[in-house]
Amino acid sequence: MKLLALLGVFLLVGVATSQDGARLLAAKNLLNEYLVEGKDVTVLYSIYNVGSSAALNVALTDNTFPDTDFNVVRGKLSVQWERIAPGSNVTHSVILQPLKSQFFNFTSAIVTYLPVEDGAEKSTFTSAPEQKGIVSLKEFDKRFSPHYMDWAVFAVMTVPPICIPFLLWSMSKRKYESSGVTGKTRKN
Amino acid sequence: MPSSGGKKFTREEELLLQDFSRNISTKSSALFYGNALIVAALPIWLFWRIHQLDITQTQTIILFAVVTLLSTWLIAFAYRNVKFSLRHKIAQKREDAVSKEVLKKLTPVEAKKMSRKEKDERILWKKNEVADHEATTFSIFYNNTLFILIILVASFFLLYTFDASVYP
Amino acid sequence: MASLGCAFVAACLLLLVPFSSAGESCLKPTVEHQIYTTTEAVTSTDTVFLVEFDLKCSNAIKNPFLYADVSGRQLPVSRSGDNLYQVSWVEERKNAPAGTYTVKLFDEEGFSALRKAQRAEEDVSTVTPLTSIAFSHKGVSQGPIVSSELLAVVLSGLLWYAAYSAKQRILS
Repeated sequence: MKLLALLGVFLLVGVATSQDGARLLAAKNLLNEYLVEGKDVTVLYSIYNVGSSAALNVALTDNTFPDTDFNVVRGKLSVQWERIAPGSNVTHSVILQPLKSQFFNFTSAIVTYLPVEDGAEKSTFTSAPEQKGIVSLKEFDKRFSPHYMDWAVFAVMTVPPICIPFLLWSMSKRKYESSGVTGKTRKN
Repeated sequence: MPSSGGKKFTREEELLLQDFSRNISTKSSALFYGNALIVAALPIWLFWRIHQLDITQTQTIILFAVVTLLSTWLIAFAYRNVKFSLRHKIAQKREDAVSKEVLKKLTPVEAKKMSRKEKDERILWKKNEVADHEATTFSIFYNNTLFILIILVASFFLLYTFDASVYP
Repeated sequence: MASLGCAFVAACLLLLVPFSSAGESCLKPTVEHQIYTTTEAVTSTDTVFLVEFDLKCSNAIKNPFLYADVSGRQLPVSRSGDNLYQVSWVEERKNAPAGTYTVKLFDEEGFSALRKAQRAEEDVSTVTPLTSIAFSHKGVSQGPIVSSELLAVVLSGLLWYAAYSAKQRILS
């Protein structure tokens, strides 16, 4: 929905600027609610052509994920499309794993393209998700793990306060309510 | 207090009254408070490990201590109430079985020697003892299950209101 | 507006076809692929499908322009190196059940045939793709169905109920 609205805006912008060949607008988004150390993060790039003609030799390059902070799980941080037709869009995604728990500033990737054939190369920046906190795995586990061990320990701790009085009571009950005695009681 | 006015009652009357008295021996009181403290301390684990309360903070420690002591007192109070509500019923139910047991245990010589009153007294005493034991243990069992249910339900809802505020 | 856009895109593509399909097509295509699909529900809101593949042709054709079709939806394919491609798409969780997904790859010619068939509302499956990649998505784990807290509450409730009924029996 949000994406459609955004696209609508881009298309309107496109109408206004449709005279000078292709014009690309690019967005870079993180699809995850929480960024967690060691857990997959999806980066989604969307490129819209709001110009009047096809953009040629479109290349998307993202150099904003240092090796020391991110591990690429799948997908490439540098891709290209032969062309993007006017009024259409392409998307690209990359799966990364943050290696550290920290505040990381997610900045723009660069898109380069030819607005017209044999024209000069143009470049544009994608939007930037900006500063985001990466939660440590330990913190994440604390909040989202089902705490099986902790619950098991709790269960074990509740056993004596419940079972000891119950056993003492039921031993006495059984002793005085053995069938012979109760049977006689009823007759009386 | 029946025990303080002991001189006015016969031993049998005293034993009969014990069935209904809310008086509690020091031993049984210690048992109640000891048990209550153990159970009241259980939620500390729950809040520390599962609800992630920081137990190194002085504030949290004080809160835990106050809440634990308060629940100890409440649980001991509940133990006593349930015990008294049950003891008389249990005594009635055990009467026949206890008298049979007591009479069986007497040696023939003893049985001959003892007066009927003495035998009744012994039965009454034993009956009170059994009823007290059963009422005490059952009361502890019952209130422990109730307390654990209450804290789990309370913390379950607490967890849900908590979760929304976990992330900025 | 959407259909208008589609028609526009298709028209543009048709215009472009004669220029770029001059090259020969890939013969005996084989692909080696690597798949990624979202497996965890807690950290992400959508399910991501990502297919990276390496196209090999028996002739010397290099970096042909490819389109992908996934269950009737056309996606542009991006290229990340020589004959290395990537196609990815994002679905809302409820629209991405576990199961087998097939990515049909078309070259320029095949793609225009596919669009033509689609527009004429013909059977799309008659258009044979260059090659296709099938993979299975295991679905997204939502964690345990019953939370441990709820289980603890239920168990302790049952325990208390047993104790309560024992108490009622004593008092009866």
